[in-house]
Amino acid sequence: MTVVITPTMIGQVVISGLLAGSLYAMVALGLGLVFGVMRVLNVAHGPLLMLGAYTTFGLFQWLGLNPYLSLLVSMPALFVVGVVLQRLLVRRVVDAPELSSLLLTFGVSIALVNLAQLAFTSDVRSVEYLTGSFVLGPFAFSKSRVIACAFALVITAGAFVLLKKTRLGKAIRAVSQSREVAQVCGINVQRIHLITFGAASALAAAGGTLIAVMVAIQPEMGQVYTFKSFLVIVLGGAGNYPGALLGGLLLGLIEQLSSLFLTTQVNEAVAYVLLVLVLLVRPTGLLKGRAG
Amino acid sequence: MTRWLRAGFLLLLVLLALYPMQGTGYGIRTMLQLFMWIALAQSWNLISGLTGYVSFGHVAFFGMGAYTAAILIGTLGWPWLLACLAGGVMAMVLALVIGWPCLRLKGPYFAIAMLGLNEVLRVIVSYYEGLTGGGSGLSLPTLHASVPIYYAMGLVALSVTGLTYVIITSRFGLRLMTIREDEVAAEAMGIDTFRYKLYAFLLSAVAPGIVGGLAARDQGYIEPTSVFPLITTITMIVMALFGGKGTIWGPVLGAVLLFTFQELVWARFIYLHQLLFGAIIVGVVLLMPRGILGVLQMRYNLPRTI
Repeated sequence: MTVVITPTMIGQVVISGLLAGSLYAMVALGLGLVFGVMRVLNVAHGPLLMLGAYTTFGLFQWLGLNPYLSLLVSMPALFVVGVVLQRLLVRRVVDAPELSSLLLTFGVSIALVNLAQLAFTSDVRSVEYLTGSFVLGPFAFSKSRVIACAFALVITAGAFVLLKKTRLGKAIRAVSQSREVAQVCGINVQRIHLITFGAASALAAAGGTLIAVMVAIQPEMGQVYTFKSFLVIVLGGAGNYPGALLGGLLLGLIEQLSSLFLTTQVNEAVAYVLLVLVLLVRPTGLLKGRAG
Repeated sequence: MTRWLRAGFLLLLVLLALYPMQGTGYGIRTMLQLFMWIALAQSWNLISGLTGYVSFGHVAFFGMGAYTAAILIGTLGWPWLLACLAGGVMAMVLALVIGWPCLRLKGPYFAIAMLGLNEVLRVIVSYYEGLTGGGSGLSLPTLHASVPIYYAMGLVALSVTGLTYVIITSRFGLRLMTIREDEVAAEAMGIDTFRYKLYAFLLSAVAPGIVGGLAARDQGYIEPTSVFPLITTITMIVMALFGGKGTIWGPVLGAVLLFTFQELVWARFIYLHQLLFGAIIVGVVLLMPRGILGVLQMRYNLPRTI
């Protein structure tokens, strides 16, 4: 089977890639924050996203709430979940070797998946709210993806404004640069850790909500987003927050291009090969992150 | 004391060697799985327990071995023992491909790179249907060989444990543990850290490869989701951690205890199984990160590598 690849197809694929990439960037920014501020590799990031998706599904199913409005519920709810997790568990592995944080968050993640299975069963669910596509000249884009991209961009921009302009954001970046110096300057490091993990979980939840409208969801959906988020932060440069944006868009593009030239099934593998190449050639990521 | 322990260990080996004459089919297969877990936990210990570099995708080598062996047995008709050894070799090749770029870096990048490896292999294996049967898996010709596989599995478990003993008591092992304690200091002392990390990683991949092949032969059927689950990696890590990582007997002890517990208790809680396992992981990480042997070592002043 030979498919002729036309410029229109490439245009379609590039735009689809950027649409998906903005979502990856938002979700990965959360993971990147937790890693940058606490040096914790949070494997539970994907399952937190899954909880966000189920929050939206539940509210839509039982109360008929507009899924986009449910961002106002899922994000604060997961913020609280994140704060509780940080307070009870993650706090204890902040300075431990990465094995501890990986295992601890993995323990949390299988517990979360199991709880979701108990509450919602393992059946595949979907939020049937927005179907159909926007047609623009030769291109067509599914409405839910375009709107998801818009929300993701707004939320990511909001997060960057918070990080850059507010006192809280400055405190977070300070702790991320040097915990000791931040502490000496009078920043309550424990409190910043709590807020960071909460905010990261809220970003994951936003991703979950937007994804729930796009595709069918199930309790084990999260793992693949954990993996993608790690790809994004390594591509962009771990600990470099604008890098997450670049990495996310790049991952979206790579996935779409590899589905065009190869097949959809292997796009994770293509992204992984790229990760290994980036580690080989430029271990600090495309934008300069920090090594070690 | 040491003499008694040694005699007891030999007696245990003799009993295990004689067991297939008395044991039921179920008993033999259960023991065979126990050997498998010992070999897996011990292998993970070789790279991560000794050098501190976390291999969070070790099941990739198991799956690599399983598929190599299954393809060699199924399509090329190799004898199973040879095919399983080839599985070990292929796992080592995979370790070279991943370790070469990723072990040059310090810090958590290796763990991140290993995190997705099993997932990626699963995707690739599902895709190349012609060779691997894709998502529907591969069936092997029927063969009743539980007893030979029992011995093979036992031998692998014994060999990895023996290898760990040899390494830990050698200069090579000392170099690895120096890397774990302080990599910069290790480099300052003239240790070529990349080379030794890579050696340890290659050695740690062989046994999972062989064991994967043996498991595939034993079960007679494999599919992508059954040989690449992340949970297998986690189970071997928790076993090694629970017994005491970086020690000779810790992974063995952890594998025996956790496997027994699993057989006796978990099967009764199908719905809460994962929740319980999650709680166990969190408990081990927070309450006894040094493992049982680690606690005993601190209390009784035993050598750190026992």
